[in-house]
Amino acid sequence: MADTPWARRRARAPSRLGAAALVLGFAAIGLAGTVANLAMLLPGGGWWAAIVRPDAGLPDQLLAAYSFAPRLVVSLLAGAALGLAGAILQQVLRNPIASPTTLGIESGANLALSAALIWMPGLLGFGREWVTLTGGLLTIAVVFLLSRRSGFAPLVVILAGMVAGLYCASLAALLALFESHYLAGLFLWGAGSLSLQGWEEPLFLAPRLGLAGLAAILLLRPLALLGMEDAQTRSLGLSVGMVRLAALLVAVALTAFVVASVGCIGFIGLAAPALARIAGARRIGPWMLASAATGAALLWATDQMVQVAAVISAQMIPTGAVTALFGAPLLLWIIPRLRLPPAAAGSLSVQLGQSVGRPGRRLLLLGGLLLLALTLSSLIGPTATGWSLALPGDPSSAWALRLPRALAALAGGTLLAVAGCVLQRLTRNPMASPEVMGVSAGAAGGLTVAIFLIAETSRLEQMLAASLGAFLALIVLLLAARVSKANPERIILAGIAIGALLDALVSVLMASGDPRAILLFNWMTGSTYGVDASTAGASLLAALVLLALLPLVRRWLGMLPLGEDTARALGVPLGAGRLLLLMIAAVATALATLLVGPLSFVGLVAPHAARLLGLRRPLSELYGAALIGAFILVTADFLGRTIAFPWQMPAGLVASMIGAPAFLWLLSRKQDLA
Amino acid sequence: MSAPPSPALFELVDAQMRIGARTLLHPLSLTVPAGRVVGLIGHNGSGKSTLLKLLARQHAATGGEIRFEGRPLWEWGTRAFARRVAYLPQSSPATGSMSGRELVALGRYPWHGALGRFTAVDRQKVEEAIALTDTGAFADRLVDTLSGGERQRVWIAMLVAQDAGCLLLDEPTSALDIAHQIETLTLIRSLCRERGTGVIVVLHDVNMAARFCDDIIALHGGRLIARGTPQEIVAPDTLARIYGIAMDVMRQDGGGYVAMPRI
Repeated sequence: MADTPWARRRARAPSRLGAAALVLGFAAIGLAGTVANLAMLLPGGGWWAAIVRPDAGLPDQLLAAYSFAPRLVVSLLAGAALGLAGAILQQVLRNPIASPTTLGIESGANLALSAALIWMPGLLGFGREWVTLTGGLLTIAVVFLLSRRSGFAPLVVILAGMVAGLYCASLAALLALFESHYLAGLFLWGAGSLSLQGWEEPLFLAPRLGLAGLAAILLLRPLALLGMEDAQTRSLGLSVGMVRLAALLVAVALTAFVVASVGCIGFIGLAAPALARIAGARRIGPWMLASAATGAALLWATDQMVQVAAVISAQMIPTGAVTALFGAPLLLWIIPRLRLPPAAAGSLSVQLGQSVGRPGRRLLLLGGLLLLALTLSSLIGPTATGWSLALPGDPSSAWALRLPRALAALAGGTLLAVAGCVLQRLTRNPMASPEVMGVSAGAAGGLTVAIFLIAETSRLEQMLAASLGAFLALIVLLLAARVSKANPERIILAGIAIGALLDALVSVLMASGDPRAILLFNWMTGSTYGVDASTAGASLLAALVLLALLPLVRRWLGMLPLGEDTARALGVPLGAGRLLLLMIAAVATALATLLVGPLSFVGLVAPHAARLLGLRRPLSELYGAALIGAFILVTADFLGRTIAFPWQMPAGLVASMIGAPAFLWLLSRKQDLA
Repeated sequence: MSAPPSPALFELVDAQMRIGARTLLHPLSLTVPAGRVVGLIGHNGSGKSTLLKLLARQHAATGGEIRFEGRPLWEWGTRAFARRVAYLPQSSPATGSMSGRELVALGRYPWHGALGRFTAVDRQKVEEAIALTDTGAFADRLVDTLSGGERQRVWIAMLVAQDAGCLLLDEPTSALDIAHQIETLTLIRSLCRERGTGVIVVLHDVNMAARFCDDIIALHGGRLIARGTPQEIVAPDTLARIYGIAMDVMRQDGGGYVAMPRI
């Protein structure tokens, strides 16, 4: 029925005044911060004179003129550029959640920059903006290629974009790992640092952004028409393809210039257009202008606050990470207020092959495969003198070193896959998984806080902290889901926002230069390097206990995907059942995150792979996914040890190198069936 | 109004439903007899789905009391209630990758619970339900690959397997063509006749309600506006009060009455 209470609530105009006040509030914060920072820098006053004609003999005045002022200008320029880029992307794709961040453009540009910096520094001589532009365009091309079959359904585009972005970020992390002397600098860049020396950056940014802005103005009218259906637009005599391409180019260019100049600044491009729209800018011209202004105000306010915080804490904090830190809650606030086209959800429903088959034999086959991988991985490996066989019993063999790692990878893969299955069935969302929904990030956040707060953390304390973090992330997510009536797209978006929030927290801590950060970084990339026999044994035991408990919840897992109403009508105790399943998912994710890091996509991919193999019923799907997840990570651990020998690549990172493309392939493949 | 022939299934005493400032259902007192097909009709937003959800315990009433078989609804245990009352939501959800038989078997959950064995009795009930609803042909196919009419029948088979004395159906015919509507409602009616199952069914089409229900309850704006046999309801002035437009009533050759909006 059309007039359900929540339909009514959504139809009610969102509070325009609130949004407008928020924007003005940001500008006010920016202004207040600017005044405060100037007052700290130049207590004597005479600010304007100091900036325009600094006295070369006074370091404070030089700082104001060559560091503070250019930084202020850059924050305004970059914020406006990202806001405008977000607005253009949203208009072109008719997608209210498109943005440089959610489409992976920023990460792609950043990866291109990192790669060029390490391997082909000569390229940068042509201008780093060309490098970032290429990276951004390549990323968006991949995203479009993958979502083409869905007719660019908003959620499919965003999912492809987010995963492509995560993939680029993983690759950039891998680069940083190998070339660790660049590590700190790259991190600051990747996290979006605005600290500057001199007027080079504003002078670099201003003309390029001006050009792109001019192009945006020229495209204004055709863009207005793009809001309609293609057929209609064409009948008005517009070449839809050309306009779209041109507008995309402008948006990517705006983003690429910003990334080339100051690095990734997350969420401004998403938050600014959304705020501008909620504040009541309906027509495209005013809306784009308002988006740019809002973006500028957002980044200005953030950057000034970051500088105040830096003075207080005497630490350099990357602004880009901080924008994510408050951009993500903003996204959580916006999500229930967004109007998404209702058709998008349908395109994601899982349709599976007819194969019913005998699940027992398939499971046995998978088990055999896993055993084989485990045996090979612990028996053979490269040594300084070539490949060798290490047999158990020989005290000098590498067997005793390899087996615990392989077992830890196995346990991690199992746990992640089970968590993924449980979450997908619980939320009725085929794209749910600990990684996508921010549960892994929650575990990582919990662990980070524990490492930084407690001097010596025991394994048990780490586990508790990680579980608590994962559970909290899940609770926040489900509260957000309740507000948005469990709409799958909104849940995923909320998960992405939570994930980004915690990632930002971790980046801020890592960029602080604390020695514990390196430890954290190694662990974040999913290294099984430090696992000893007792940890491996305990993890394996935990995984086995979990697997043994699963039959107890199999009926709930079978019924929950049918929806709340049906499950309740059949007498399922919804509250208790959900809580139990959530706790299973949270603990499994936390344990796995401790072993293989938060980055791998195993929790997302393994359940799908199991279903593609025709394992449909809850229990066989769970066990099949567990075996597949374990297999992926054991293989990843083996590859990580051998590919770049004598260097070691972390298993979690290698798994994400396999898992992310697999996910993207699944995403593009699924649309055929929908 | 005819007196209920059997003891009351549901008794409502001033039951009402409010969300915020909006009243979806004004205080309503009413008795629903067992062993009959009772139709719920009314305009969009008249509160018929809300009433059904209250009866199905999907929502708690914000005031008044609802009793099922003499006991207040909240007193019933979750599974005990599900053994007595089966509910079919308005839109049957996607079933992912479940075969027809697996879906029907879910109807046995109230009997075996989360951990109990799926016994021979359960298996027998499932096969019975499949036979009764004539869904054997799709029992081994995936539910999501079935047509709308077939899918609806599998869902009803699940309700049958639940072996409840009372079925609550929210527009079970809304997605079906006319032939499938007749087929589904005939099935529901025969369940009532053969097994003595009490049925409360929300229907959009007043003619379908008149043809298949023993008793019709009409709501308007969250209030009871009319109640009676099909003959009593399908009358021009009653229909005008229910739907707010003028209707003509014609007599069919078979003896039934058909209502048509006056154009």
